[in-house]
Amino acid sequence: MSEMKKIKNLKDFSTSADRFEGANLLCPGCAHSIIVREVLNATNDDLVLSASTGCLEVCTAVYPYTSWDASWIHIGFENGSTAVAGAEAMYNALKTKGRLKQPDRNPKFVSFAGDGASYDIGFQWISGCMERGHNMMHVVLDNEVYANTGGQRSSSTPIGSSTTTAPAGRISYGEKKNKKDMVSIMASHGIPYAAQVAPNKWKDMVKKIQHGMAVEGPVFINAVSPCTTEWKFDPKDTMHITDLATDSLVFPLYEIIDGHELNITYRPKNVIPVEEYMAAQGRFKHLFKDEYKYLIKEWQDRVDEKWAQLNRREEARV
Amino acid sequence: MAFDKMELKDIEVWDGNFAAAQALRQCQIDVVAAYPITPSTPIVEGYGKFKADNYVEGEFVMVESEHAAMSGCIGAAAAGGRVATATSSQGFALMVETLYQASGMRLPIVLNVVNRALAAPLNVNGDHSDMYLGRDSGWIQLDAYCPQDAYDLNFIAFKVSEDHDVRLPCMVHQDGFMTSHTAQGVHTLSDDVAYSFVGDFKPMNDMLDFEHPVTHGVQTEEDWHFEHKARQHNDLMTKVMPKIQAAFDSFEKLSGRKYNIVESYDMSDADVCVVCMGTSVETAREVATEMRAKGIKAGVVGIRVIRPFPFFEIGEALKDVKAIATLDRSSPNGAPGMLFNEMAGALFNTDTKAMLSGYVYGLGGRDLTKAHLVSLYTELQANVDAGKVTTQLQQFIGVRGPKLAFL
Amino acid sequence: MAKTGWDEFEIGAMLRTFDGKIDDIAGTLQEDRAYSQNSSFSASVADWRIEKPIFSKDFCIDCQFCWIYCPDISIISRDKKMIGIDMDHCKGCGICVEVCPTNPKSLLMFPEQADEESELAKWPAKESKEK
Repeated sequence: MSEMKKIKNLKDFSTSADRFEGANLLCPGCAHSIIVREVLNATNDDLVLSASTGCLEVCTAVYPYTSWDASWIHIGFENGSTAVAGAEAMYNALKTKGRLKQPDRNPKFVSFAGDGASYDIGFQWISGCMERGHNMMHVVLDNEVYANTGGQRSSSTPIGSSTTTAPAGRISYGEKKNKKDMVSIMASHGIPYAAQVAPNKWKDMVKKIQHGMAVEGPVFINAVSPCTTEWKFDPKDTMHITDLATDSLVFPLYEIIDGHELNITYRPKNVIPVEEYMAAQGRFKHLFKDEYKYLIKEWQDRVDEKWAQLNRREEARV
Repeated sequence: MAFDKMELKDIEVWDGNFAAAQALRQCQIDVVAAYPITPSTPIVEGYGKFKADNYVEGEFVMVESEHAAMSGCIGAAAAGGRVATATSSQGFALMVETLYQASGMRLPIVLNVVNRALAAPLNVNGDHSDMYLGRDSGWIQLDAYCPQDAYDLNFIAFKVSEDHDVRLPCMVHQDGFMTSHTAQGVHTLSDDVAYSFVGDFKPMNDMLDFEHPVTHGVQTEEDWHFEHKARQHNDLMTKVMPKIQAAFDSFEKLSGRKYNIVESYDMSDADVCVVCMGTSVETAREVATEMRAKGIKAGVVGIRVIRPFPFFEIGEALKDVKAIATLDRSSPNGAPGMLFNEMAGALFNTDTKAMLSGYVYGLGGRDLTKAHLVSLYTELQANVDAGKVTTQLQQFIGVRGPKLAFL
Repeated sequence: MAKTGWDEFEIGAMLRTFDGKIDDIAGTLQEDRAYSQNSSFSASVADWRIEKPIFSKDFCIDCQFCWIYCPDISIISRDKKMIGIDMDHCKGCGICVEVCPTNPKSLLMFPEQADEESELAKWPAKESKEK
């Protein structure tokens, strides 16, 4: 067992030697790369990584360039989790057989995927990995849309968001279905650790990633990743939007240990109205017409209810 | 806990599935990621039992779909070790996306394909629809005609696939039920002899070498994609056949069993021949011998290596024959048939003036009887006597209803 | 990078990040790594920028907010100090400026053509807090 990297404060953290490189092709202001950096910098251990098809993948491994300093694999849209699971199985096999080239290492196996690749097309593969107990971490870069292909709805897209396949129009307010609760679904596999994180709360994120890397078994992380292009905000405002997401409790930060022990890990001092979060993004612009304002109210109610539910679960330890 | 070796009799009574499972055990696979599907299920079950009984040291990962099985195999192979799995039919079809990814990433993986029809309508029996589906996927494809072949060709598959000059995945095909569930005497190799034939796995571009990190599975667009695909095709066209031949040669020295890229039977003076694959080869050989007793000089050409396609070896095998019938066990669905087209392509620019006719047979496990082959050879002889093809170029054998013939 | 022919690259479109062996990546800073030509570290996205950040160290408190929130690994921090911007990899998103807490800000956005020295010479003064 390797020692956990000691990160007391941000100054400590800033001594990290990044294992993810610039001159990747992600949009200016993309939160994906901020999340990836926080995840990778949380450990000094060796890494075996994958990315499912999506923004992160197509922007970081376009031949003849790679932005990855650790071994990395991409197969397809749905199976990045299983790619890492296969590599983890090989690691175990070679360990048993005494054939590891560097047997003293303690590698961490991490797959990155978008919400489309996790909530939708890769759902079964991730569920399989969680159920089988691979010693790996799956990190969702949740931007609530198929951003790589131009903004189609996924099952993570929230109600009222305008996407290219569920656009707002003369008779439609856009997406009609509520976002899938992936953290609960994955925690229900009885995995040792599931958590929701946000890149603005880097300390919370690092703590959770380190916890996830320390436990034996599969770990599921859902990271909110504001998308400047599809959420329609200025690239400079990525962290501001992330702050609104966590402080409006649209993205509450919590963890679920062993499928039942829920802890809320961030309680905003000043809870911001959901309306403020929505007003900052172009994808909800149409909801501010009089006829759709009820949706904003409904959304606030939903967020309040979810927060109350999380609090009840935390208290009841269920 | 070290794993146990198994004492085998010189000849064991095994079906094709168990023969394949035994070969996998003897090759000491590092990771098998698999999902069961009829008729290949007993390979996975057999391997699972070996693992449960401590005859397997590697990891055995039972995943949730065939797509995940091949995905796990790709991740494991990229990590750097010996990898294999098995599937059939619909499972093979589900895997297709990942088959191209495995070969494009140049990962040595051995896939036992127990051939079965493709739905709809659903059917669990053997035909070559799945095998044909894989033929442009960039894999090496070897074809077993019986359980003995299924056993032996697995060793060949690892030896060729893992060669650093090759690094291409390899399928070992056998006919569903006819081979996979039919027990026959199989000459065995001892565990030590079998393992030493395939040798230790030699890693290349392995993700688990932390001192040399690698990126696998990149994106290439119009400025690079063509070159990578061209490279893969070049290696299939130029590097694989010599390695297969060398593996066949050394396997013959080891076991006394001789395999050929194209399996010619009584072809030296044949006037008529059938070209076929799988269990039909053995049936055709029996009928050819009987036809010779009736004065028809009949031969059989079995395809052993389907991909890369043995273009020149086929041309050589068929150069003196007068009438050829191709036997396609997959519905061509609007075309003459894969074997018909491949034979035509291989012979077109040669001096061979042989007449070529195609037959579609055995779909969904329908028997190919000796009687079918007798009348087929008789038709070929009639073509020879008439100096022209007397039938339509494509005929269906063994289907009920009015005779089906086209072209 | 030169566009090579089909016979001139590694099979499987495999890429290596580093030339030769690297022992401890997480313990090796970028300047001490032997990046290969295939690492995007060797490439530049400077031409993406319309605006660029300029760093004035006079007011910087080395809080490292710009370092942690930079999506492009373009804030160069060494020994817990912010020492500059990697202009080959900065895409000009402006996040570093937004998250900078000092007064005046230690990072500001300017048109790509702006002259760093003259902008630093006329850096804004401390704003008095209203309210």
